[in-house]
Amino acid sequence: MQSSNGTSPNKDGATSAGVAGVKSGNSGAPLLEVHNLRTYYPIRGGILRRHIGDVHAVDDVSLSINRGQTFGMVGESGCGKTTFGRTILRLERATAGTVSMDGQNVLALQGQDLKFMRRRMQLIFQDPYGSLNPRMPVSDIIGEGLLAQADSENRWGDRAIRDQRVGDFLEAVGLRRDYSRRYAHEFSGGQRQRIGIARALSLNPEFIVCDEPVSALDVSIQSQILNLLSELQRQFNLTYLFIAHNLSVVQYFCERIGVMYLGKLVEVADTDALYAHPRHPYTVALLSAIPVPDPRVRKKRLVLKGDVPSPANPPSGCRFHTRCWLRERLGNPEVCSTVDPPLMDMGGGQMSACHFADKVSAEAADEAAARQSVVDTAVAES
Amino acid sequence: MKIKEMVPKLDAADRSVGPPTDPDVLIDVRGLRTYFHVMDGTVKAVDGVDFSLKRGQTLGLVGESGCGKSVTALSILQLIDIPPGEIAGGEIWFDGRDLLKMTTDQIRHVRGADIAMIFQEPMTSLNPVFTIGDQISEAIILHQHVNKKEAMSRAIEALAAVGIPDPARRVKQYPHEMSGGIRQRVMIAMAISCNPKLLIADEPTTALDVTIQAQILELIKELQVRTGAALLLITHDLAVVAETVQNVAVMYAGRIVETGPVEDVLLSPKHPYTQGLLNSIPALHKRGRELDVIRGVVPNPFRMPPGCKFEPRCPYAWEHCREAEPDLLVPPGTHDKSRCFLQAPENATRRQVFDRATVATVRGVIG
Repeated sequence: MQSSNGTSPNKDGATSAGVAGVKSGNSGAPLLEVHNLRTYYPIRGGILRRHIGDVHAVDDVSLSINRGQTFGMVGESGCGKTTFGRTILRLERATAGTVSMDGQNVLALQGQDLKFMRRRMQLIFQDPYGSLNPRMPVSDIIGEGLLAQADSENRWGDRAIRDQRVGDFLEAVGLRRDYSRRYAHEFSGGQRQRIGIARALSLNPEFIVCDEPVSALDVSIQSQILNLLSELQRQFNLTYLFIAHNLSVVQYFCERIGVMYLGKLVEVADTDALYAHPRHPYTVALLSAIPVPDPRVRKKRLVLKGDVPSPANPPSGCRFHTRCWLRERLGNPEVCSTVDPPLMDMGGGQMSACHFADKVSAEAADEAAARQSVVDTAVAES
Repeated sequence: MKIKEMVPKLDAADRSVGPPTDPDVLIDVRGLRTYFHVMDGTVKAVDGVDFSLKRGQTLGLVGESGCGKSVTALSILQLIDIPPGEIAGGEIWFDGRDLLKMTTDQIRHVRGADIAMIFQEPMTSLNPVFTIGDQISEAIILHQHVNKKEAMSRAIEALAAVGIPDPARRVKQYPHEMSGGIRQRVMIAMAISCNPKLLIADEPTTALDVTIQAQILELIKELQVRTGAALLLITHDLAVVAETVQNVAVMYAGRIVETGPVEDVLLSPKHPYTQGLLNSIPALHKRGRELDVIRGVVPNPFRMPPGCKFEPRCPYAWEHCREAEPDLLVPPGTHDKSRCFLQAPENATRRQVFDRATVATVRGVIG
């Protein structure tokens, strides 16, 4: 749709046919590998502001993302998915673990090496209103990163060269070249998000963290932006970490999905496998909560009770055990509240962190059948 | 005009002056126009909206931001700031009385008692400096004329009714001590505390996580059935509508463009905008395949298209759509009303393309 009329900025080796091959399978080599990543925030208390505990925002997360892949990260607010993305980009300080991009340890980089790495990994923000400086014209909003990364080779420090590049990328995201003189308030939400995307793209990154890029947009604009992101992925051979809470968007957009709960990765699987047979009780509950647009379907929900517990004081053992319907069904086995289950390989590229992962599918069907939804009961009574 | 002669005109028939004749009708909104006079001109946020809702029934008002769905709700409760706002026309018959002809004092007795509203933002719509017990009992004392002690015990009952554990302790807490889901439950408790006849819920789950959204929707449905209140649900999410309400009205640019029973509207949409909204649900599409989009953006409120307001974005539009604005038409053999010339009998040939696309869309919905 938003065709760039052939004037799009060039990036080597990104013919659409070749990249489509990478996209359709998992054959690509890992671009990003994360091992045992932890991000804790200290809690200080008392008169001396002593360190009395930690918020476990990201706790022991390991995963790998292949080149050209779109990896979805889902979970409720406060589960640590945004912190995870920001830690990878070195915007938050990791407490432990490694992040390697193309073999280089991102967390150990310093000085010039780190600066060069920042070009290769960029971020698209959630809020298209808060993430653009209202005092800057678009040319400066997009050009700021170029100026920071200017060197004698790319000559981005030269205003004319920089402006040329800003114009190219405005066209790449479907905006007019001459919008570069305007200010953020002159644009609609969808156009602002396009500016944010142009800013992320302008440094020729390979890896982009998309942090809820469409959740602040109207439905009709949302699909325009999703189409743009897929088109740019093909054009520039991008790898996305797509952070979202909307499971309908993730199902459409991502090839592989990680589900986070209270800082832990509880399930990782290819999208189709995850939606067809989830292997973690939390994933089952998340999927069952999605409303469906068919009015004749009366979904039997596995509605979770209560709220997410505080990450400053997470439950013992499996972090999900306080809200787990499967644990209740199995008669509250002790292991759930004492042993923290590791992420176990379930075959077919699917991994689940549940002591009873093999029982999830069968029990979910029984539970859904057994549980008359509250409404149905109320309707029957009245 | 020719089309108007051939098709029974609903708007004209409905817009008879006086209260609705059917005593079952709880609220009847006719020709509502809410304008805002701002520096650059007049924004016609709601421009001729008609709908009615029977006692105990549920209606969903769907549309994107700026389509006028929230302004419609605020006009019912007369929470529009005047100026810059102005209710420029129409009637709102509620329980035999025209809300628009009431004095400020009279409307204050309706607001919160007969009509209650649940707002979108549970974070900002509660007052941070009062306990939630104080906030719930304020309305109870005002409308039910009981003393403070009695009001507090009714507040505790209301909190228990919305499934908040340990309500006697919770009434003494402040909003910041609660999570988003609990705050939204408090909002709902406040809304039902005076047994309203009409409950207006404005995007009640938009700010919440999916699992909490499921809890809150179940709660609203359960309370609606239990209390017998009518429900006006305002949302942008067609899936939420599909699960929650019996009837739906789709709004675009201050007008209702399609309305009817939820099965008809979602499973055989009669307006290109409804079709486009359904197509925008990503999960209905194959991964890797481009999404069908509604091209362009909503019209600038100061430069509305002269004819059909959806014409600039409509893939089926032809010259006629640019010149004249359609009324709500009833396509033969349906319970649906659609503001689209395609549904006029003489445009049957043009309609074939639209109908074929609808079949493809609905196949996605049914899955």
